[in-house]
Amino acid sequence: MSAGQVAQRIYSDIRRIVVAPYKAVREIQYTINGLREGKIPPKFVAWTIVSTTAAMLIAALLMFPIYWILITALDPSASSIYTAGGVEIIPDSVSIKNFIWVIGPITTPEAINVSLPFVGELFSIPVPDAIGNRYIINPGAFGVEESRQSGRFIAYAKNSMYVAFWTALIGMSVIIPGAYGMSRRDFVGRKRLLYVYVLLTQVAGGLGIALLIALYTIFNMMGWLDPGANTRFWLAVYYAGGAVPFNTWLLKTYMDGIPVSYEEAAIVDGAPSWRLVYEVIIPLSKAGLATVFVFVFLAGWTEYIVAQTLLDAADYTLPVGLYALIGEYSVDWPKFAAFALSFATPLMLVYFFMQRYIEAGLSFGGMEG
Amino acid sequence: MSTSDVEQRLKENATVSSVADTLSENKSAALVLPGFLLWAAFMVLPMFYLAALSLTNADQSNLFRGDGMLLGILPIGEANFVGLENYADLLFTTEALNQGLLDAFMSNPVGIFEYAFWNSMLVTWLFVIVSVAGKVLLGVGLSMVLTGNRVRGKRFLRGILIMPMGIPVIFSITVWRFVFSDARFGMLNDILLRAGLINEAIPWLQERWLAFGSYVVTEMWLAYPFMMLITVSALQNVNGDLLDAAKVDGANWFHRFWHVILPSIKRPVMFGTILTSAASFQQFLVPWIFNEGGPGTDPGQNALILVYAYREAFRNPSDYALGGAISITALIFIGAFMYVAVKRGNLAEEAGES
Repeated sequence: MSAGQVAQRIYSDIRRIVVAPYKAVREIQYTINGLREGKIPPKFVAWTIVSTTAAMLIAALLMFPIYWILITALDPSASSIYTAGGVEIIPDSVSIKNFIWVIGPITTPEAINVSLPFVGELFSIPVPDAIGNRYIINPGAFGVEESRQSGRFIAYAKNSMYVAFWTALIGMSVIIPGAYGMSRRDFVGRKRLLYVYVLLTQVAGGLGIALLIALYTIFNMMGWLDPGANTRFWLAVYYAGGAVPFNTWLLKTYMDGIPVSYEEAAIVDGAPSWRLVYEVIIPLSKAGLATVFVFVFLAGWTEYIVAQTLLDAADYTLPVGLYALIGEYSVDWPKFAAFALSFATPLMLVYFFMQRYIEAGLSFGGMEG
Repeated sequence: MSTSDVEQRLKENATVSSVADTLSENKSAALVLPGFLLWAAFMVLPMFYLAALSLTNADQSNLFRGDGMLLGILPIGEANFVGLENYADLLFTTEALNQGLLDAFMSNPVGIFEYAFWNSMLVTWLFVIVSVAGKVLLGVGLSMVLTGNRVRGKRFLRGILIMPMGIPVIFSITVWRFVFSDARFGMLNDILLRAGLINEAIPWLQERWLAFGSYVVTEMWLAYPFMMLITVSALQNVNGDLLDAAKVDGANWFHRFWHVILPSIKRPVMFGTILTSAASFQQFLVPWIFNEGGPGTDPGQNALILVYAYREAFRNPSDYALGGAISITALIFIGAFMYVAVKRGNLAEEAGES
C-alpha cells in the first residue's frame, strides 16, 4: 500500500462520514417500507434501534468531558470555572474569541530575513510600509484583551516542533533498520529482545518518571541543562530512545506482512542487499512507516513530565506550556480550554482516521515470531 | 601425545571456530544494535546510575559539587556511600532500627514498618487491582457493544471512542481534575446538584477514598481505548462458523459469550491486561495533578509509589538518594509482577516468541 492509497482511504473515510446522514435516511425509508410490507420482522428493527441507541448513549457519556471543554472554549464571557454559570449542554452564545487569544496577534513582517542553519543570517529584504507590519489577525478587533500569555501558543509550538522533529529523525533512523533486522534476519537473542520490547510498550512512560531523578542528574552533569546548552535537542534524543521498543516492534509486525518472495525475486536478479531494502522493503512498507512516524513524532510532541523537569521557561513545549497556563500563570479556564483544544484536535483527528490501522496493528493473536 | 591431549586440542579448535561462526551468523544484529543501544543509553544506564545513587546520601546540596566517584566511574560529587541505609530507612521505622529489627518485631510486629512507604505501596496495588478490573470490564463491554451485529455506525463510534488516545494526557487529566473539582461549579458537583441528588458540593479531592475513586475513574477513561482496541481486534478473529453452530444448537447469548467468544479473546485480553496493569502501577500524573498525592500529611494518603518517589526527590529538601531507593524498589516490584504474570499466563508467544 502506497502513501497515495493511504490518502485515498482517508478521503473515502471522510466521504463516508459526509454521506452517512443521507444513507441513514435511505436505510430508515427502506426499513419502514419493509415493515409495512412485512418483509422485515419488527423484533429485528426494535433490536437495531435499541442497541444503536445504547451504543450512542455510551459514546456520548464517555465523550462528555471533551464536549464540555469545547463548550467552555467557545464561551465568550471569559470567566473562570468558579464564577461561570455551571455546565450548559447547549451554550447561549458562541464566539471564537478564546481561540484568537490563543493565537495572539499576527502581523505581516517588517523585513524578510533569509538565514541558514549553522551559517546565520544571509540577507534581509525590507517589506514596503504599505503592507509591512500590518495585522493579519488583530486580537483587539475580536475584543480580546492583551496579556503576556496571549500568543504563547506559537512559541510553544515552535519548541515542540523542534523537539518532535529531532525525535522523529533520530528515532526513525534507528527504528527502520532495527525493524528490518527483527523481521528478516535471525541472530542470537532476537526473540528475547523482541519480547522485552513488547513488554516495554506500556511501561516506557512510567519508567521515564521512575528514572527521572537519574535523568535529571545525568543531564545536569553532562552540562545539558546549563544556560546556552541545547537542552531541547538532548530531550529529543531521550524521547527517540524511549520510542524505540514499541515502534520497532510495530514496524516489524508490519514488515512481516510483506511476502518474502519479492525479496527472493530481487536476490535472484542479483540485487545487492542495500538495494533490497531501498527498492523493495521501504516502498512496500510506506503505510507502516507513516504510522510509526506519527507515533515517534507524537512521543516528542506530547510528553509532559520529563520536559517539565528539564526545560527552562523559554524552551517550554506545548504540554508544559499548557499546564503552566493554569499552574504558573493562573489563566482563565475558557482560555485554557481553547489552548488545549488547539493542541489536541489535530491529534484526535489523527487517531480517528487511523482507527482501522491501529486495530490491525494491535492484533496480538495473529502474530508470528 | 596422549588421547586426552588430542581431545583437548579438538575442543579448543571447536570453541575458536564456534566463536567465529557465532559472530558471522549474527552479523545482522548490527541492524538492531543502534536502536537498542540508544534505548539502553537513556533507560538502562540511568537505571544503574539510580541504583548506585540510592546507595549514597546524595541530595541537592552535595551531588553536583566536587568530583567524587563511586567505584571509580560513577560521579557522585561530595555524597558518600552509605550502603543499604536508605532502604532500611524506607522500609522500617527509625525506632525499630535503633532497637534492632528482631527485638522490635517480637514486641510489635506491625509497628516496625514505616507507614509512609507501606501505605504508598498498598494504595498503589489497590489502585492497580481496582482500576485494571474497571478498565478490562469497560474495554471488553464497549467492544462487545461496538461490534454488535445490529449496531449501526459502529466504525464511526469506534473512531470517536478511540480519540482519547490522541489527547495529550496532561490535557485530559487537567480536564478530569475540573470534573472532580471541589467547588460548587465543578462539573460533577454541578450536575449532581442540579439533578437534586445532593444538597451541597462534595469535596471530591479532599476526602481520601473519594479522591481514590476519582483517580480510578480517570485512569479507566485514559486507558479504555487501549483495551478496546485489543479486544476489538481479537473479536474480529473469533470463528464465525462456531458462533453460528452454537446459535443453531440453541445456545443463548450468555452461553455463546462464555463458551465461544471468551476462550478466543482470552489470551489477547490477558496480554493487554498485564500491560495495562504495569501502566496503572506507574500512574503518576493523575494523583500528582489532582492533589499531589491526596489529602493528609506528607507524602499524602493516596501518594502512589512514583508520586512518593518524586516528592522525596524534588520537593525540599531534595533527597535524590531516598527518591532513588523508592524508584528502585518500585521497579523491582513491577519487574517481578510482569515476570510472574507473563510466565504464569504463558503469554510469551503473544509477544511473537513462538
